[in-house]
Amino acid sequence: MSNAEKTLHPDEKFKAGKLSGAVTKTGAGLAAVGFVISLALGAGAGDHWKRFFYAYLTGWSFILSIAIGGLFFVMLHHLVKARWSTVVRRLAEVVASTFPIIFITGLGFVIPLVAGYGDLYYWAHHDAHNHEINHHLISKLGWWLNPSYFSVRYVLYFAIYFGMARYFVSKSRLQDETGDPELSTRLRVLSAPLMIVFAFTTVFISFDLLMSLAPKWYSTIFGVNFFGGANIAFFATLILLSLVVQRSGRLTRAITTEHYHDLGKWLFAWTFFWAYTAFSQFMLIWYANIPEETVFYQYRMFSEWQWVSIAVLVGHFAFPFVFLLSRWTKRILPSLTFFAVWQLVFHWVDLYWNVMPNLFWDKAHVTGHDGKVVELMAGPLMGNPSLHTVGFSPVDVTLWIAMIGVFLLSVGRALNGNLIPVKDPQLPSSLSFENY
Amino acid sequence: MDNHNPNEDAQREPDPSNAEDAANGDLYGVLAEFDTPGELIDAARKVRDAGFTEFDCYSPFPVHGIDDAMGIKRTVLPLLVFGGGCAGLLLGLLLQWWTNAYDWPWLISGKPFWSVPANIPIGFETTILLSVFTTFFGMWILNRLPQVWHPFFRLDRFARGTDDAFLLGIEARDGKFQAASTTELLKGAGAIAVEECYLDARPESKKLPAWVYGFIVSTGVLALVPFAIIAKARASTSTEPHYHIFGDMDFQPKVKSDATFPLFADGRGNRGELTGTIPRGGLNADDVFYRGLVRTEGVVDASWTTELPPSLEVDMKLLERGRQRYDIYCSPCHGYDGRGNGAIPRRVQAGGGAWVARNLVDPQGAVAKMPNGQLFNTISNGFNTMMGYAAQIPHLDRWAVVLYVRALQRAQNAGPQDVPADCRNEVR
Repeated sequence: MSNAEKTLHPDEKFKAGKLSGAVTKTGAGLAAVGFVISLALGAGAGDHWKRFFYAYLTGWSFILSIAIGGLFFVMLHHLVKARWSTVVRRLAEVVASTFPIIFITGLGFVIPLVAGYGDLYYWAHHDAHNHEINHHLISKLGWWLNPSYFSVRYVLYFAIYFGMARYFVSKSRLQDETGDPELSTRLRVLSAPLMIVFAFTTVFISFDLLMSLAPKWYSTIFGVNFFGGANIAFFATLILLSLVVQRSGRLTRAITTEHYHDLGKWLFAWTFFWAYTAFSQFMLIWYANIPEETVFYQYRMFSEWQWVSIAVLVGHFAFPFVFLLSRWTKRILPSLTFFAVWQLVFHWVDLYWNVMPNLFWDKAHVTGHDGKVVELMAGPLMGNPSLHTVGFSPVDVTLWIAMIGVFLLSVGRALNGNLIPVKDPQLPSSLSFENY
Repeated sequence: MDNHNPNEDAQREPDPSNAEDAANGDLYGVLAEFDTPGELIDAARKVRDAGFTEFDCYSPFPVHGIDDAMGIKRTVLPLLVFGGGCAGLLLGLLLQWWTNAYDWPWLISGKPFWSVPANIPIGFETTILLSVFTTFFGMWILNRLPQVWHPFFRLDRFARGTDDAFLLGIEARDGKFQAASTTELLKGAGAIAVEECYLDARPESKKLPAWVYGFIVSTGVLALVPFAIIAKARASTSTEPHYHIFGDMDFQPKVKSDATFPLFADGRGNRGELTGTIPRGGLNADDVFYRGLVRTEGVVDASWTTELPPSLEVDMKLLERGRQRYDIYCSPCHGYDGRGNGAIPRRVQAGGGAWVARNLVDPQGAVAKMPNGQLFNTISNGFNTMMGYAAQIPHLDRWAVVLYVRALQRAQNAGPQDVPADCRNEVR
């Protein structure tokens, strides 16, 4: 009952304690095993590490999107002065604290890019700047898409993310000690302008990291779609993280079915949001049917990739949508856990579907001044049907697991001190929250 | 529909012992008042535990937890809404299939008559529409709304249920109900007052007032009038002209293009240009610039100019403009390099068809030998299967294209002599 506000139960365990070490070690183990196997697979593939780097980018985008979702949720919580979510806000802050290690992991492909590796991003490839095959690319996009400016933006994006996350987390932890309600007010006032900064950062980081893989294809809603997927992944992660924390005997009374129900609602809502934006992107391109845009879907609809497309449509949207509609699938924890894991897996499939088709580059033959025919790389999405293959490789999965390890390692390091904002003025009403 | 009787107010005192009152009939139930929402919830739980089912709670605002305390089961409304949503989706798709693919096939954007991606937005809307309708009307029906009269309205206390009182009413038809013991139960549950409520015994209270019947009948008849007018119009013929609301808009004193007009000898509405006049801006006297022709004194037939019009200022800006227009209008067939290998011929050839676009830069080809004026005329008026571009490309831009085609011919057939002497070593 909302009119009987609760306080934290005196027997409640809300300190991270040994949980931090356990999560960190699990993550470090996964990451170590994953990277060793992946490096072995990458070295043996003989494709100049191309597949390795594409899989690396897919897995890394996966954990980046979770952290982005975490930061968004923390900011949204303050922006709307949310009450129910106060009990899980510290866990969301833990997820948002993972940016530094994700930044370092991302250097794994940014440093090679700056050093001249051209097989990941076509715009960084030498042949992309040949006027015979790409004169628009260099004249219109070259100033934005080049390794040095890309790396500057990479640092900038993470500086913004890290700065915002750091601010919100440190002020929240400061309130644990002082109990000053002014801190909540200050965070709420700041969250509005910072939300605008967050929106632009997220849209542009998705353009740069993922959409620029096919530099001649563009979709303005791509960033919004990425943001939707990021939130699906984050809420699935938050549900699982809450369950892990409770399984370890902590916060067993604070987080109730009511909170899981609301987290389930968020999972459902973002599932639909993601589908809405994905369809918006599809329908405009399908209707206009302009070759340079349609090729994106032609590739994914009329080749082996159609099965992945159907899997994304059914697995990431239709199936979870229909089942998460019900109140009970969100309130019965085993079923909620199932859908959280399911949506995390399909979020990765969705990223895979976005990234991997760009791996297969077409070739172009250009006659030089001396009459010799030279073979050049013409880049991804050139409409050559013989290249429309999935070409699944084990390294895709091993790197994903390694990245999950990196994420757990990072979460484990951030899991310290209080697992709940003990002196937040909204905590009592969050503890007594019920759905009606 | 409260047939309010001022004399009755005196009888409606909050005194439950007023049983010998002539207007009062059977006992309807008892109404108890509580001080706080919390007490109401506790009382509701006690009443439920005592086995009552025919009771309800009334409060100025929704009291959380009251459903649970009263033992009300979860509503089936969500299931109905799910069904309504599914029906909305199916009906939305059916509507689009029937209208666009079956009853009146209509080709839009070269898509199939029935193409599901295009139907999704409408299907989405109709899903929401029927979900919302089911939610709204389902809620009314399940709650038996609208309810315009309730026996408790006879108690003044009941009106305070929308203001500051938390009320619980138990109906006498409940099997467990006994006036005395039920009142005791409610008082024991913390009621600050318990009041009995009697039905109105007067025979007229059982009937609707006469004016309500009049209103319903007259509204029903009026609602039929438009349908009657439509039915009459469809079933009969009329010599009356249409009724025109904006007559001066429907009938304007002008002759429409290509219509007949008996006033003129030829009976046509179109008059053409008057002899000896030229439309404003239509003189185009410069034969070289507008038609690519030069006339020589004493020669009847004009010939194609081999030069560019003298009024043309040839510079890089004009050449750049020509390149841009060429890339837009000419390159799809003739190719960016002018060799006739544009996207369209290549696509047709890839599909096994034969479509040849002329090679504009072949030094032995017709275009290289064509005078500038003829090239200009070809761009303007077309040639063979090529349509004319006079409507799309203005005169000056057409000359810019001529200039660019000449530049292409030069560039595509360049030899070592075209390279400046000081750079020749760099070219191999």
